[in-house]
This record gives sequence, structure tokens and C-alpha cells, in this order.
Amino acid sequence: MFSELLDLQVLKLMNPDVKVVQPTGLLDGSKANQVRREINDCLEAGAEIVLLDLKDVTFIDSSGLGSLVSALKTVRSSGAKLYICSISDQVRILFELTSMDRVFKVFANREEFDLEVQKVT
Amino acid sequence: MSELKDSSKFPSHHQEVLRVGTDLAALARILSWFDRFEPPHISQRIWLQCKTALAEGFTNAVRHAHKNLPSNVPIDIEVTQSPQSLEIRILDYGPPFNLEEKLKTLPEEIDLEATGGRGLKIMHSIVDRLAYTRIDSDRNCLLMIKDYTQSQSL
Repeated sequence: MFSELLDLQVLKLMNPDVKVVQPTGLLDGSKANQVRREINDCLEAGAEIVLLDLKDVTFIDSSGLGSLVSALKTVRSSGAKLYICSISDQVRILFELTSMDRVFKVFANREEFDLEVQKVT
Repeated sequence: MSELKDSSKFPSHHQEVLRVGTDLAALARILSWFDRFEPPHISQRIWLQCKTALAEGFTNAVRHAHKNLPSNVPIDIEVTQSPQSLEIRILDYGPPFNLEEKLKTLPEEIDLEATGGRGLKIMHSIVDRLAYTRIDSDRNCLLMIKDYTQSQSL
């Protein structure tokens, strides 16, 4: 009984509940607020890790960026983790200009995220 | 400088104006309009920087200069291209504002986890010249100049 419980715990540690949010297009303030709400929904559904996949996001402005930072704070305060992957060249430029590379953990793509965070082999 | 060698093929001066309303939703249209000016002799990185600065200039006009103004008050965006530089002018009908003073009061290091207040810093770090001047009796002009000859050496 006890060992079964332990196994379950280990399984949970190895494969925490990951939810993916994948917005599209231009992430301005209002679009990024929608993303923020989606991330909140993930947390309420018990996500321990939220991956924000930005592969279909062409452009982010500073208010969109502000909302993402705000989302990160919410995720952190609920004890979960937020990761970002697959950023476009414009988003990379914006992240560099605003030192977001020091705030967000950014993976090159979904595969890199899976390898490093989900430990999927 | 070698990247500029083909610039002779580019029209020496090219200017266009786009008029939009006081509406943040116009940003997508502005950005795709702006992409038509992308010069062949400039790296995509420099172009994306200019595009980022333009977005900040426009959203600033809507959020700050035109705060509390109805959506039909126009904002004009004027782009002037030459082989050596890009000039962006954003004309609004807001109250006078001292940008130079504002830039002086911005903290050196912005709080990394601030949820706003990055717009001016972004524009300031991208363009080579940033100025906001009163024109006519009721308009302001935000001028941003990107000097391609300086950017190439970065």
C-alpha cells in the first residue's frame, strides 16, 4: 500500500501536469490578457507547468510583454512554473532589449522543452 | 558599410502616410503597411527593431497622447525612406508633452518584473534620434530616426 503510494508520487514528480498555451498572431495588450486568462485556467485545472508556445506569434509589443510578466507572477505565486518556447525573431529582439531572457526560461522549441523539462526520451 | 553597396537601386527618397483612428486594434494594419517599406539592403534584425519602435510609438499615441479622446481622432503615421536612414513620424492631437524631461526621469535599470513602462525605453534604445515636438497649435510629432549607416557597424 505504502509503496504503491510512493510510486504514484514518483510518477507525479517525473511527469508533472503540463499544460500548453499556444496563442497566434499579434500579441498586443488585449490579446496577451486573453493569454493570461488562459494560463489562469490552466492553473485552476491543476497545471504544475505551463508552456507558452509562441511559434505562431508574429509580434509582441511592450504591453503584451507586460501581460506576460504579470502571468509569470501569477504562475509563480501559485507554486507552478511557466516556460516559453519557439519565439520568433521579433520576440527575441524584444526580449533582448528588455532583458526578458533573465526573467523567462525560453526553449528553442517544443522538443527541447520535452527533453529538459518533461524528461521524455 | 559594404551592406549599403546596393542601395543605389533603391529610390533615393520615398515617403508615405497612413491615417488611422485612436484604436489599438489598428496596430496589425500599421505593421503590415510598414513591411512594404522593408529595404533590400538592410538586415532583417534592423528592420524588426524599427517595426518594434513603430509599434511602441503608435500605442503610446493611443494610450497616452490620445487618452480619453474618441476613436475617430486621427493619428497619422509618416514613413520616409532613404538609402541611409528611416524616418518615422507619428502625429497626434494630444496635449503638449516634454519627452526629453520624461526620458531624463526614467530609471537607468527598469524593474525586470514591472508589468508596464517599457515603451519609451524600447524606442530610445532602438532609434538613433527620438524627439517629440509641438507642431501647429494642436498637434504633436513623434520623430524617430534610424540611421542605417550606424546600425550596420553594430
